[in-house]
Amino acid sequence: MNAMSFAWRSLVRQPARASLGVLGVAAVGALLFDMLLLSNGLVVSMRDLLERTGFDLRVSATDAMPGQGPLIPDAVAATETISRLPSVRSAVALRFANATLQVADAGPRGLYSSFQGVAGGAHPWTILRGHDVGAGREIVVNENTERIGHLEPGSHVLLRASCDSSERQALPPVEFTVAGIAQFPFDTIRGTTVATSLAQLSAACGGNELNEADVIMASSQEAAGVDAAVADVAKALPALRVASNAEVVNRFERGGFTYFRQISTVLTTVTLSFAVLLITVLLTVSVNQRLGEIAALRALGFSRWRVVADVLCESILIVGGGGLLSLPLGLLLADGLDRILKRIPGIPADVHFFVFEPSALQIHLLLLAGTAIIAALYPIRVVAALPIAATLRDEVVG
Amino acid sequence: MGAAAAVSIHASDSSTAPGTGTPSILISRQLAETEQLSVGSTIRLSRGSDGREPRTFRVAGIYEPTPDPARLGATIREVQMHLPDLLDLTREPGAPAGSEYVETINVALKDKDDTDRFARDVSARMPGIFASSATGAAENTGPFVVLQRFHLAIAIVTIVASTVFLLALTIMLVDERRPTVGVLRLIGLPSGRILMQLFLEGVLIASVGAVFGLVLSLLSEGLINRFFQYHYDTTLIFVRVSPVVAAICVAIAVPLGVTATVVASWALLRRNGLRLARR
Repeated sequence: MNAMSFAWRSLVRQPARASLGVLGVAAVGALLFDMLLLSNGLVVSMRDLLERTGFDLRVSATDAMPGQGPLIPDAVAATETISRLPSVRSAVALRFANATLQVADAGPRGLYSSFQGVAGGAHPWTILRGHDVGAGREIVVNENTERIGHLEPGSHVLLRASCDSSERQALPPVEFTVAGIAQFPFDTIRGTTVATSLAQLSAACGGNELNEADVIMASSQEAAGVDAAVADVAKALPALRVASNAEVVNRFERGGFTYFRQISTVLTTVTLSFAVLLITVLLTVSVNQRLGEIAALRALGFSRWRVVADVLCESILIVGGGGLLSLPLGLLLADGLDRILKRIPGIPADVHFFVFEPSALQIHLLLLAGTAIIAALYPIRVVAALPIAATLRDEVVG
Repeated sequence: MGAAAAVSIHASDSSTAPGTGTPSILISRQLAETEQLSVGSTIRLSRGSDGREPRTFRVAGIYEPTPDPARLGATIREVQMHLPDLLDLTREPGAPAGSEYVETINVALKDKDDTDRFARDVSARMPGIFASSATGAAENTGPFVVLQRFHLAIAIVTIVASTVFLLALTIMLVDERRPTVGVLRLIGLPSGRILMQLFLEGVLIASVGAVFGLVLSLLSEGLINRFFQYHYDTTLIFVRVSPVVAAICVAIAVPLGVTATVVASWALLRRNGLRLARR
């Protein structure tokens, strides 16, 4: 009988303790797996989301995140300049503001919504029903706005823009027609968003900031590549800051959300230490209870390496079994934890904190393998150094 | 009163003594470090990113910004100045003095328990102005409530894993004493008496374990705080083992340890004494 079969029989002989050991490893392993998914999940998810928008360059007035810094002056001309560059396929200027919609179910204060204005060819949203905004006073709304406001394509809605805190409530309401229902890539789960052309947004804002935008998004020509497009835009508009998606993600990585990476590192370390300690104790107690049995096996001809292999296989079976169980458990747990974290205000609905990557699974398996070996070291030492005659005598006398 | 504006900084390395009429400002430690400014330096601030209409200020002091979890990871480049100076600097050309606005007015009440009544009074007398308790505002901050729930969920998973391991360990430890328990049964000790002994042992071991755990958490509290404070260049406290948290941990750990011991022992004591004592 080989070492693995022997270890299996040792575990099966005491099913309660073996099951509890496996379950313990499964719970710890699930937590470990989740921490690995969390360590890079937000960044991976953000990168995917940025790439899905179809724009791979972001141009802004400063290094601040869009909507948090000063506006780009003369944005329409800048967008046209960028669009004409040979390395750029298309460009669109975006302005972010807020608006209150006077709709049925929103109460006397109205429905507070994100208000976007665009100028340029491609629009950064997907039309689900109806049609896109035209030249007139038309808006597209997201599904939350449609549901809360009981709106549909063709509905009319009064909108009061809020473009600067000092001008809040001072602007007159403007009537818009709902052209269509759209899906916005950066919408939050409960967020309400409306969008129109940059000119209509500027008009709703009182016409004080005509032709200004928070960000210009552009897509590069495949043949030219992103880096060439970044260089071209930087050369054409030296007063503006241009960044590729990778640079934006890099900035994002360095921002406040690195907290999740740090906390995952700390929890991974604590979880692994916990697992090593407990499996070591489990195996050591188990081996201590079977010292007489192991000494008898040695006396019958089992080599030192063979009994060492038995203990190691026992560790591998406990950790392996628990590790296998930890994967579905971890995915279930990740789903629950992701739902909790996505309640953080301002997180887009399509962004996830726990994202599966093959590399996370590889690291998980490596860490569990390391845990199985390290946890088995002390009991292996006990077994390897076992004095056969003295142990057998103690068993008989005791 | 509080008002804020984005201002740009130009010409920052002069430390020559300014004229007596130069208004003074305070700058954050991070700004002083990144721009190599010191007390006595003069800087020019402008309301526009193009540096138009700059005004000269003298750095009167460098301060450590109040830790703000919402700005974690950000380099806090901040300037504090007298409100009239800020309003002068940021006033739109042609706007009459006194037409400016402020975002927040901080109020210190004589009676701290009076916040709710004060907030209601403000809302009733000045429609459009919202008053709230500073403590309440901090506690209701969305991201931190969510993070609290996240950490609670992680703690629950950790407790479940620990319980399973604890049960496995106690089963093994109790099993190790099977012959002793068998002999005690054979010499006439009732099961209840043996169970009580094992229960007291469980209480002792769980209490010592809980105290050890608390000491370990107090030690790691400092390490984790130092790591995050260094990483984020902040004085925020990330981990705090408060008396309430310590009490909750003990209240969970000790009964859990004792229950695991009793459950494992009970399964053993149900067996026949002869079978237990048999080698």
